[in-house]
Amino acid sequence: MTKLKPLLLIALILLLLLIPALGGKYILYMAIHILILSVFALGFNLLLGYTGLLSFGQAGFFAVGAYASAKILLVIPSLLLGVIGGAIAGGIAALILGYLCVRHTRIYFSMLTLSFGMMIYSLAWKWRDVTGGDDGLVGIPRAPFDIPWILSVNMTPMENYYYFVLVISLLSIFFLYRLVNSPFGLTLKGIRDSENRVAYAGISIRTYRLLSFTIAGLYAGLAGSFLPPLESTVTPPIAHWTHSAEPVMVTLLGGIHTFSGPIVGSILFYIIKDIIVRYTQYWLILFGSIVILLVLVFRGGVVIFFTERIWPMLSRRSPPP
Amino acid sequence: MVKNISRRKFLKNALIGGAAIGSGLGSYQITYGQAKKAAGPIKIGGQGAVSGAHADYGWQMIAGSTLAIDEINAKGGVSGRKLEMKFMDEELKPATAVKNARYLVTDWGADVLFGVDSSGSAMALGPVLAELNRVHIFCHAATHRLTEELVAQRRIPQIFRISVPTYQDGILPALIMKDFPEIKRWAGIHEDYEYGYVAWNTFKETMKKVRPDVEFVSIAWAPFWTMDFSSHIAAVMAEKPDAIHTTKWAGEGVMLLRQALTMGVFDNIKAWWQCMGGSVDVLQGIAREVEADKFKGKLWASARYIHNYPVTPENRAFVEKFIKRWGKYPNYSAETSYSSIYVIKAAIEKAKSLETAKLVTAIEGMEIMTPAGKRYFRPEDHQAVYTVPGGRVIKSPDYPLPILGDLRVIPAKDYYRHPPFTPISATK
Amino acid sequence: MLEKLVFQGLIGLSFSMYLWLLAAGLTLVFGVLGVLNFAHGSFFMLGAYAAFTFYEKLGINFFLSILLSLVSVGIIGVIFERLFLRKIYNLDLPYQLILTFGFILIFDDLVKMIWGGVAMIPPMPSFLEGNLSILGRPYPFYNLFIIIAGLAVAFLLWITLEKTWWGRMIRASASDREMAGAIGVNIPFLFTTVFVFSAMLAALGGALGTPVRVVAPGIGTAMIIQAFVITVIGGLGNLKGAFVGALIVGILTSFGILLFPVFELFIIFVVMTIVLLIKPEGLFGK
Repeated sequence: MTKLKPLLLIALILLLLLIPALGGKYILYMAIHILILSVFALGFNLLLGYTGLLSFGQAGFFAVGAYASAKILLVIPSLLLGVIGGAIAGGIAALILGYLCVRHTRIYFSMLTLSFGMMIYSLAWKWRDVTGGDDGLVGIPRAPFDIPWILSVNMTPMENYYYFVLVISLLSIFFLYRLVNSPFGLTLKGIRDSENRVAYAGISIRTYRLLSFTIAGLYAGLAGSFLPPLESTVTPPIAHWTHSAEPVMVTLLGGIHTFSGPIVGSILFYIIKDIIVRYTQYWLILFGSIVILLVLVFRGGVVIFFTERIWPMLSRRSPPP
Repeated sequence: MVKNISRRKFLKNALIGGAAIGSGLGSYQITYGQAKKAAGPIKIGGQGAVSGAHADYGWQMIAGSTLAIDEINAKGGVSGRKLEMKFMDEELKPATAVKNARYLVTDWGADVLFGVDSSGSAMALGPVLAELNRVHIFCHAATHRLTEELVAQRRIPQIFRISVPTYQDGILPALIMKDFPEIKRWAGIHEDYEYGYVAWNTFKETMKKVRPDVEFVSIAWAPFWTMDFSSHIAAVMAEKPDAIHTTKWAGEGVMLLRQALTMGVFDNIKAWWQCMGGSVDVLQGIAREVEADKFKGKLWASARYIHNYPVTPENRAFVEKFIKRWGKYPNYSAETSYSSIYVIKAAIEKAKSLETAKLVTAIEGMEIMTPAGKRYFRPEDHQAVYTVPGGRVIKSPDYPLPILGDLRVIPAKDYYRHPPFTPISATK
Repeated sequence: MLEKLVFQGLIGLSFSMYLWLLAAGLTLVFGVLGVLNFAHGSFFMLGAYAAFTFYEKLGINFFLSILLSLVSVGIIGVIFERLFLRKIYNLDLPYQLILTFGFILIFDDLVKMIWGGVAMIPPMPSFLEGNLSILGRPYPFYNLFIIIAGLAVAFLLWITLEKTWWGRMIRASASDREMAGAIGVNIPFLFTTVFVFSAMLAALGGALGTPVRVVAPGIGTAMIIQAFVITVIGGLGNLKGAFVGALIVGILTSFGILLFPVFELFIIFVVMTIVLLIKPEGLFGK
């Protein structure tokens, strides 16, 4: 499988580049949302898959990124600034709250993140003057992509915005990939698997956890910052714990212990839900059943299921050398 | 080895190709232009709250619109073409509402849209409608900002609203309750979001103008999903008000009333105004208490439509057909969605086209007879003007559930807001 | 002013008892089975629907309806534990949370399919109507009833855990599961009974609420976050902690509504955060 990976990757990227030509407007819209969810979930999985911490409050940082990006765009219509600002805001929020969270582990960590996420939700709902309350922020422009003195690209056509999101997403995915395969990533895995040994080696566990948490928050903020230019509004539900459940579900679906798991999960999750809601009012029960199925059957996630069960079956068809 | 690699490569390519086709890219080829074959059905896309605690409101929309569509199709459709509807769940979430609208227009091919329960969803949808360029008739979402800001100020002409806006819940009760000189001290128990703020603020504003002697002694805010109101009721009753004004709607309204009864509120106040209390689900929920006269004639309410007003052949026919088809009385969402379909029909017939710009012109200024009475879509903000009375919740020998009686009819055109629209304070 | 506060506090106390009913089952399951059950709120909802059906649709006596609803939900609990929960005991936390989350969705749609989406409310039992005068103001009999019920459940749980052999097994397994298994405690059987018991506690909360609360899809999910917060404040797995946590949250929320109408949504999370930062295991946790 390893020899195929770079080829598969190139094919996939080609596919992504061709989506505006191949699919209609709605697919483009869906694709942007899938990219947002992928970045969101990848950051989340840095915490879960690589550091062993389950955060049920990532939606809070997503929201911080979204609101920050919206606020910036409403004043300075520069897409780049909005996106960078949103990502940094998410990271800073994660740094501050993470400092309080990483002193705990497992269930208490999860509960703390849940509560912080909901506090951000309450804040978004109540602080009308700043966040617009339940009405949220409206009229956010899809500002042009400006690099002063170098270029300015109009983002109104959705294809352009898609490519913008695609490029930044691919860059951040690549960066994360390098990160998890670096000594930093190895240390995180060490902390996940065997805290005490890593501590004996003189590494500050809390610092690494905090770094991981901050990066996850940064990615959540980045994902969130893509939202306002797409939808032109930001409302509190994006901070609710049910939104925090999404990266958890898609990562479980795709696979916690593979890098591409969250991405594959995001694609599948989004498409499945999209198709189900078109055809029935009772989508909750179908969706819930799928979730249950994935936990009970596809234990390691779809990617592992594919690489460890399906692929060997298919590749066994080739004759021996 | 070379053979193996090439076979693997082939397999891989085949898989990717298969995945691309499998993911249905081909089926998503529809672009959203409006060039359509004249023979196909007219596609109407709708959405509402189908899941969760307000699931009944979405159901009512489906019930009302389906009734209308079946009636129209039985008579040959519109301009010889049948109507086809797809209804989706907005989940009371703006993001979902926007996604549904995009799907309905760009993928399913909707010619017109209707529905939407949540004001937040409506506000998020507004700008998207300009991009998608389809007429949307809003049937429930009541924020005044939809018409005042998005239509009158930002000029998004695709937006129309067939149901009454939120300020009815502030202005109407004030105009009715002002005639009770003994009621001087008002308290509020309100929804902790824009609806509650606007209703309470417009109520206070109107009251101050018509009854300067009135005081507002207490207010409690209850967010969505509050199930226990005893703390709110206790806090408010501590100030000994004469009357209570509340926006808690649907199931929460029923709970609030039931809990208020246990707390002896109706022995200690002179009046209680339940803003959407005339809604069938609320009346049904308090039926037993009304039967036993627990509210002592002090419970007042209104709605976006009540089935017993106006007394016209159109209204009676609608209610009878609805009961015959669905076995229950129509709620206001049922009437608004039923009427929306007829408005769409009238617009298409008048415009002789499905082009959005022509439909907009057709609906602007349209006067149309609907079960709720004559509706006039005023051009200044595309808000339908029609009169809904307020009244006391009473039991009646003519109906199996409580109704609003002792109706006070104040013509909508007398109290609806007009341009220039000044913002309504949405703070506490 | 003092009178207002005291009255408000008494109202808050009834709210606390209601929250305690919900948190008790949740914390019990976590303490013994080590599972955080997101779908606990769904059992609450099912209990409410069941009680409503027996009481309103079938006209059965109020208390009998509650009993029947406990039995019904207990049966569902057995099936749920045996068929699904059992499979995830050994899985990591995220799988447990997501599996139980999936069930929330399923139950929400199931009740909609069976009973429809309208919010319904049964008649008020006649003995619960009315109020008595406390501090010159009407205090509902219903709230008093809930306080008594909550205290009764607390007493029952205490007796069960301290005095019965089942209670001893629970305490043993909660503190050291392996050892308990080694000395002959039938762990699978214990797990099933504890889970069923907790489901019934949730159902009791739902059933007792029906006179003043509507049954509608999703009412369980509304409560589950509050229950989580209370169990964390009290210490996961600790019943005394859940009781105290419920008292704190209920009474504080009630005061908040009277004194600080703007912040009520916040209070519960702020309290939890403070408790977790000062005493990470919860007030009574180890």
